[in-house]
Amino acid sequence: MAYDLPVVGGIKNLLIGLWVTLRHLFSHAITLQYPTERWTMPERSRGVVVLLSNKETGELNCTACMLCAKACPCAAIMIERHRGDDKKWKVDSFSVDNSICCYCGLCEEACNFDAIKLTPKYEFSTYDKSSLIYDVHRLQELGRDVAYTPRVKKAPAAAASTATATTPEAATETPTNPGEKGEGD
Amino acid sequence: MRLELSPLLKIIGDWITSLGLPSWLVELIEMCGAAALVMGMAFLIILFLVWWERKLSGHFQQRLGPMRTGWHGWLQTVADGIKLFQKEDIIPKTVDRKVFYWAPVICFASSFAAFACLPWGKNLWPTDLNIGILYIFAITTFVVISLLMAGWSSNNKYALLGGMRSAAQIVSYEVPLTLSVLGVIVATQSLSMVAIVGAQDKVYNWFIFRQPLGFLIYLIAATAETNRAPFDIPEAEQELVAGFNIEYSGMKFAMFFMAEFLNLFLVSAVAVTLFLGGWHGPFLPSWLWFLLKVFFIVFIIIWFKWTYPRLRVDQLMEFCWKFLLPLAFLNLIVAGFLFR
Repeated sequence: MAYDLPVVGGIKNLLIGLWVTLRHLFSHAITLQYPTERWTMPERSRGVVVLLSNKETGELNCTACMLCAKACPCAAIMIERHRGDDKKWKVDSFSVDNSICCYCGLCEEACNFDAIKLTPKYEFSTYDKSSLIYDVHRLQELGRDVAYTPRVKKAPAAAASTATATTPEAATETPTNPGEKGEGD
Repeated sequence: MRLELSPLLKIIGDWITSLGLPSWLVELIEMCGAAALVMGMAFLIILFLVWWERKLSGHFQQRLGPMRTGWHGWLQTVADGIKLFQKEDIIPKTVDRKVFYWAPVICFASSFAAFACLPWGKNLWPTDLNIGILYIFAITTFVVISLLMAGWSSNNKYALLGGMRSAAQIVSYEVPLTLSVLGVIVATQSLSMVAIVGAQDKVYNWFIFRQPLGFLIYLIAATAETNRAPFDIPEAEQELVAGFNIEYSGMKFAMFFMAEFLNLFLVSAVAVTLFLGGWHGPFLPSWLWFLLKVFFIVFIIIWFKWTYPRLRVDQLMEFCWKFLLPLAFLNLIVAGFLFR
């Protein structure tokens, strides 16, 4: 083996290898020392799920429409609701099981009212699996300080032309997703 | 054996002699004192070397290495040592108990015994044997036996393979290693470590400049001798999990581990003594020069580890017998002509 090798070229390559590792030795280490240093997560990163509240009234934005629960691929969202005196749905209980949540963000996509959001918060490890199921109060508290940009409500072009008769009130009471509406038309 | 250490130790030696004890007892006390001193030094060196290797390994990969225990993790080895002391000493049912028990002891003892004739500094050596270098190579050969014992007695296929591989590798690389050292011995006409250092009092006299080929062969063979990457097939993690020490735990494992680092220090110290002028150097104290040079050689060996991928078994043997050995002979012949 050794005699077939062009020895000079081989030695040159060995030296090139040494030079590369030496440069790495003297370059800056990229380690982030986690508990003392942390990344600042981007605003739209998908961490734990929270419920957002109205900044003035302090009430939940949620209308208990169940869209997020239907959208959830792993059934992590459980909602119980009842119809109030004003014929609007009220939330009885709202829980998110973070042990099965896959942080896909489909609930946020489905929500029409800026009520549910995935936040940059991510440090929620516990010793007890059952404590990962967050109830409505916990979710609301987590959502208090979450900065978010309200979505710009745009009427879909097709819906705006055909469904002028539908009142906004009716739309809130029986929310359907745009796909179904398209089929109906 | 007489101590030839620094003036302070000379004073202690004179004081012990003045107590009027029989001469054999004085000699015994002096021997034990020197051994204890070297042992303490060896443990300090192991503590430092493990940290040095881990930090360097980290920074070679743009990591930081240990950072939490003390300033930049300098207490990490102490923490690891305390942990290993507390570990249960598990001896599997099927092992050959006596052989299993004695293998780490022999491994550590033979590595440590070689420290007896290292010149640590000016007038700072435990003993000056007139066959010093021969003694070092002879006594460190026991490491091979201990690795074979560990591999065989563990009754485990990985351990056996690891032990066999390291035995084959160390025995093969012993040949170019010894031949590269012979060049220096031919030039100095002496086997004594102290005399070899004495022959390199000026920088231009260092054997690295007079026999650069010999130094390179020694460095490569020494890397293989200590079973370090790129010659670490005896403990190739991907194939053998850990090699010969796979069944060992607790302090027995720690002894193998310490012996490995003692060996690393030893081959580097011999390289410094033979080729880099030993403790000779300007301004700084001689022992500091010695340690600085040794840690530089250790750095180079770790540098190899993080640069080159592991060789295959057949490549390893071919490299040794077909490439290093002829070069070592060439070096010896040239040295014989130049320094006769």
